[in-house]
Amino acid sequence: MPDWFYYLLQQLLNGLTVGSTYALIAIGYTMVYGIIGMINFAHGEVYMIGSYIAFIVLAALALMGIESLPLLIIGALLVSMVVTSAYGYSIERVAYRPLRGGNRLIPLISAIGMSIFLQNLVRLAQGSRDIAMPNLVRGGLDIGPATGFHATLSYMQIIIFVVTLISMTLLTLFITRSRMGRACRACAEDLKMTNLLGINTNAIIALTFVIGAALAAVAGVLLGMYYGVINPYIGFMAGLKAFTAAVLGGIGSIPGAVLGGLLLGVAEAMTSGYFSAEYKDVVAFSVLILVLLFRPSGILGRPEVEKV
Amino acid sequence: MKKIHRKALSQFLAITTLAGASSLTLAADNIKIALAGPVTGPVAQYGDMQFTGANMAIEMINKAGGVNGAQLQGVVFDDACDPKQAVAVANRIVNEGISFVVGHLCSSSTQPATDIYEDEGILMVTPAATSPDITNRGYELVFRTIGLDSLQGPTAGKYIVEQVKPNKVAVIHDKQQYGEGIATAVRKELTEAGIEVPIFDGITAGDKNFSSLIARLRQSGVDFAYFGGYHPELGLILRQAREQGLNIPFMGPEGVGNSDISAIAGEAAEGMLVTLPKAFDEDPANAHLVEAFKERKQDPRGPFVFPSYAAVQVIADGIRLAGSDDPTKVAEALRSNTFDTPTGKLAFDEKGDLKDFNFVVYEWHADGSKTALTE
Repeated sequence: MPDWFYYLLQQLLNGLTVGSTYALIAIGYTMVYGIIGMINFAHGEVYMIGSYIAFIVLAALALMGIESLPLLIIGALLVSMVVTSAYGYSIERVAYRPLRGGNRLIPLISAIGMSIFLQNLVRLAQGSRDIAMPNLVRGGLDIGPATGFHATLSYMQIIIFVVTLISMTLLTLFITRSRMGRACRACAEDLKMTNLLGINTNAIIALTFVIGAALAAVAGVLLGMYYGVINPYIGFMAGLKAFTAAVLGGIGSIPGAVLGGLLLGVAEAMTSGYFSAEYKDVVAFSVLILVLLFRPSGILGRPEVEKV
Repeated sequence: MKKIHRKALSQFLAITTLAGASSLTLAADNIKIALAGPVTGPVAQYGDMQFTGANMAIEMINKAGGVNGAQLQGVVFDDACDPKQAVAVANRIVNEGISFVVGHLCSSSTQPATDIYEDEGILMVTPAATSPDITNRGYELVFRTIGLDSLQGPTAGKYIVEQVKPNKVAVIHDKQQYGEGIATAVRKELTEAGIEVPIFDGITAGDKNFSSLIARLRQSGVDFAYFGGYHPELGLILRQAREQGLNIPFMGPEGVGNSDISAIAGEAAEGMLVTLPKAFDEDPANAHLVEAFKERKQDPRGPFVFPSYAAVQVIADGIRLAGSDDPTKVAEALRSNTFDTPTGKLAFDEKGDLKDFNFVVYEWHADGSKTALTE
């Protein structure tokens, strides 16, 4: 195989790694939008909080002398998911539920307020400096010839792929197979009707915030460990990219969020790999505009039908 | 009735004028110096250096009897190194009637703030902003106690050409005034010496993922890389480069030279080259100041600590020489005198820049220490 093949493979792997974490965050946006038709702008901050909790858990476990890698990662994931779920639930209770039924712009503003509040909360509690996460997973696989260019796939990237795949599978099973999942889909179909049929829609809406937050926490833990640096401001850009991914894939559609995330990640990697890192975001957002021009409801989105 | 009323009014006026006068004389006992820099935000530790140095100078000067019988008083303003917030800070400084500013720190936030200071007759001395544009606009009241990017770029470029002698160099920057300015200067120096620069590219500050860029560096076969920007990005680039098996030396400007880069990059920070102002804390003449910093558990090693000290000192000496705290007169005094400060003998040229300032190339170590490679 020639060099260019391995280079392409390398950029593809890089793009898919970032893309799969975009997808994890994007699911939170798309689920909330699918059910209540609103954008949860505090979602990026939940991701950031997930990273911080992972850092705290890793530090605490290391202090207790636990060095087993799977234990550390699973511990960080579990604690972080539980705590951010509580955040997701609180965001819904504080910034959405009291305002439900009012003008749709009001919860939008309260969510932005929530986002600023959470960012500053973490900044005051943890400081504004970058925090370096310990490099737990070292090394990787070399694919290709020993001489010349070869693609590297780090073990951390493999962990990201595997954990993302497991999370997505569990979510899909939950949505398609469980009673709660069916209730979720019913709510997305028609909130009022579902309520009339005796389903506690308030609980279902809270549940979607919790699921979204838990998945954002997974992304927060994985990306925190992958990049090795966290600060209170990482939520903004990650949220923006994930939101773009959700819109690109068709907001309201879970497979769409996954597809949009991967597409965005690969588009970014290809731009900085073959063209210039300077234009990475320009190209990523141009892709968004082009897709929306030809498919206004996103790649897998259903055209909006006015509910009567 | 009317007469009494008028009398009462005039008495009231007299009292308030008196009170006003007395508060004015009180104010004259204190000369306020605004310390404008990042208290928060991603580069807040540079702000720490700035405030540490400036506050120490204020205290030392006050202990020695102040300036023309008045005491100096430092007031900290947080611009978070954000141009928008810097403008708001500058306006607040104007409103509070402060005539002297030590700051700002980032070139991008210093530039818009200087427009306001110049208009409002406020004298500013920046201990850290290194962009040449800041003093290029003929402003009378803008000074700096640090060298320029246009000096730092050539210093780095010359060192690469003469000592490192690489074949192909990648030059990367963070698309900001400071980073891109230095990166452009370095590229110019390299291409003039006949060294190939196949990659000249910008990344986004605050970005966390550089894997695609690093793959491109690996593919292009460069054997040296220069990064114009700050430590959060270079730290990540170093770390991710090491993980992807890219083992070429990196070099950066003084914006990357602080202990946080070791925390972020870990072992990957070993061997990084960086241009920094001379380590003033190692100068034997400054031993008493280093001692004073250590007594207070403050770190005197940061690159902006002593330039900030010098900034406060030249303002104080300028006021003393001018015999007045009128910023225009102080500015004249600054241009026409030489000042003996902990960063050496300082003299300002017409533009407000130092007449000479040397950058030194250091080799960085994973534990955050450094060794000088040039004089």
